[in-house]
Amino acid sequence: MNEQVNAPKKFIVPIGPQHPALKEPGHFEFTVDGEIVTGASVRLGYVHRGIEKGCEQRSWIQDIYLLERICGICSHSHATAFVLGVEKLAKVTVPPRAQAIRTLFLELERIHSHFLWLGVAAHEGGFDTLFMYSWRDRETVMDILENLSGNRVNYSANVLGGVKYDVDEKQADEIRKGIDFLEERAHYYLNVVTTDETFLGRTRHIGLMSLEQAVTLDAIGPTARASGLARDVRVDAPYAAYVDFPVKLVTDDRCDLVGRFVVRINELFESYRLIREILDHLPAGDLTTKCPRRIPEGETISRVEAPRGELFYFLKSNGSDKPERVKVRTPSLCNWASVINLAVGHNLADIPMILAGIDPCFSCNDRSVTIRNPGGSQVWSWEELRRYGIEHYK
Amino acid sequence: MNIAINPLIALLVFPGGIFLLGWGLFYEFLDRKLVARFQNRVGPRWFQPLADWVKLLAKEEIIPDGVNAGLFLALPVVALAGALTAALYVPMAGWMPSSSFRGDLVVTLYLLSMMTLCIGLAGANTMDRFSLVGATRALTQLFSYEAPFLLALLGPALAAGSWQISDVNAYAHNNLWMILYQPIGFLVAIVGLMGKLELPPFDAPEAETEIVSGALTEYSGRGLALFKIGRNVELVVGLSLVAAFYLGGLSNPLEFILKTLGLLLLTAGLQSLFARLRIDQTVGLWWRIGAILALVQLLAILAGQAIRGLF
Repeated sequence: MNEQVNAPKKFIVPIGPQHPALKEPGHFEFTVDGEIVTGASVRLGYVHRGIEKGCEQRSWIQDIYLLERICGICSHSHATAFVLGVEKLAKVTVPPRAQAIRTLFLELERIHSHFLWLGVAAHEGGFDTLFMYSWRDRETVMDILENLSGNRVNYSANVLGGVKYDVDEKQADEIRKGIDFLEERAHYYLNVVTTDETFLGRTRHIGLMSLEQAVTLDAIGPTARASGLARDVRVDAPYAAYVDFPVKLVTDDRCDLVGRFVVRINELFESYRLIREILDHLPAGDLTTKCPRRIPEGETISRVEAPRGELFYFLKSNGSDKPERVKVRTPSLCNWASVINLAVGHNLADIPMILAGIDPCFSCNDRSVTIRNPGGSQVWSWEELRRYGIEHYK
Repeated sequence: MNIAINPLIALLVFPGGIFLLGWGLFYEFLDRKLVARFQNRVGPRWFQPLADWVKLLAKEEIIPDGVNAGLFLALPVVALAGALTAALYVPMAGWMPSSSFRGDLVVTLYLLSMMTLCIGLAGANTMDRFSLVGATRALTQLFSYEAPFLLALLGPALAAGSWQISDVNAYAHNNLWMILYQPIGFLVAIVGLMGKLELPPFDAPEAETEIVSGALTEYSGRGLALFKIGRNVELVVGLSLVAAFYLGGLSNPLEFILKTLGLLLLTAGLQSLFARLRIDQTVGLWWRIGAILALVQLLAILAGQAIRGLF
């Protein structure tokens, strides 16, 4: 009892589940000593939506639209990862034009996601002007996507065996015009994040993650590439049209938040180049090919480089028109370990920026919840599971 | 302008009471609108600050568990009273200060610090962790900008040879604008004022992405409304003070409006130019650069006066 009284009390700053810094619910506890963070923990699972289970009750075609709704930002990446896997199972060869248009959407989505991230990260650092400017410019790419598909967020461009939307010359010209404007803006933002002294004061040497750490903590996506780790599914295992339109891997060896800004903005330039190339050399041909309703029995994995990193799908078919199992692992989940480890030793004020530095997407990664059962039994009845759910979300 | 005002009117209507509250709300609107336009946003409508304020006043004030209720209720009142009282010694709207005595500059500066002290106390009074961190930051920031800000306002006072605001105002009016030969002092004063008002980039004490609302997290309803309007009043008083000292004095309402608006435009620009400073960066900036600059300025004034005394 005495020991407890004498022990120094821990001062814990809770961030979330509801907090101005978080746009989605998650819970972080930072133990602080004055302004310095001495410990960090994360608890996820507030927005688990049971999408994987839902997939098993819907047909392969319906699942495309359900999976697209996992993430509001990288919706097309999810749909593409899924249809690529299904097409592999069904041994369907998709026409090259469809693959090119899929890739076009993927890259446009990357542009919109990186501009969004730039704004959010700047806002976490209290630089609202950059936030407003980058989101204003992001509207250009949102308009392009709306022009192509009729939607700003869930484009529904994919179908099994191809794509729905074609790109005509008029649309291509509009895309080129938008891309020209965005390229100029990206140059400007690259200049801002690498030369603005107050902003550099908040990002330089903050959240340092060495190459070894990035490998150990299993970081992926731009977060890993900012530490010099050359890891990109588009390059390592090209899918869709990345075989015909190769991507140059963008890395940076700054290893800190500046590096994460620079990598993402440099990736934008690569996306612009790729989009122009695809538009100039769009293969002629059909948009779709026939894909069976019942997918042959089998298992496969499918990987896509989403804007945040590697998106992983596992698909299992039992030969019916519904999948037996769909397992999704989103990129944000892989990067949490880096946040928790990097936070220690930093100022409390740096935490939101380190958190935003991985471009977290909470509801995407709330795929499963860990159930720690003190009783020992791992098998729960429906009633027990229901009661647990009520307790958990209370 | 030198027209005597009945003391009661001076306290309640002009320049002390309703006028100051209204003008404070108007400047809050201008500030928000300007920053919004700089950031490519639309910004609020002209009555938005008033609407916010009335709404807050009408809302329930929740007194959280574990606070000293008397202190919790009194602090916003004291903070607003401090800011309003400070206005009596400042040439508001170009009129002579309603009240004036030798050394009122020091009293005014202390009254202007009441706000930050009250916010610090308010944060320390609650058990909320965001409030505690915010209070620590608010007081840390107070210790960093207060001395340079004081030194920056002493510069014109030394030049005028008086610590009475009305004398400095008259001296500034009759001589060359002091911003021209004390530019460092002006810069320190205007940036110090931004630190005092916790405007970006010095908004670490209320950084919403880290500590929600800082020291005022637990405040709601009337208490929050009083703190907010207190800060608006302080904005007007601070801008008037800097304009009176550095921009050639305030001798009529037109001068008051033009000069304080010019300063407001400057602060709004500075607010949208920078990323938020961490609290350690704020302290470093003020003590490594701000204080030394202000001291150099002060020494230059003293040296100049000594040399002039020789001839």
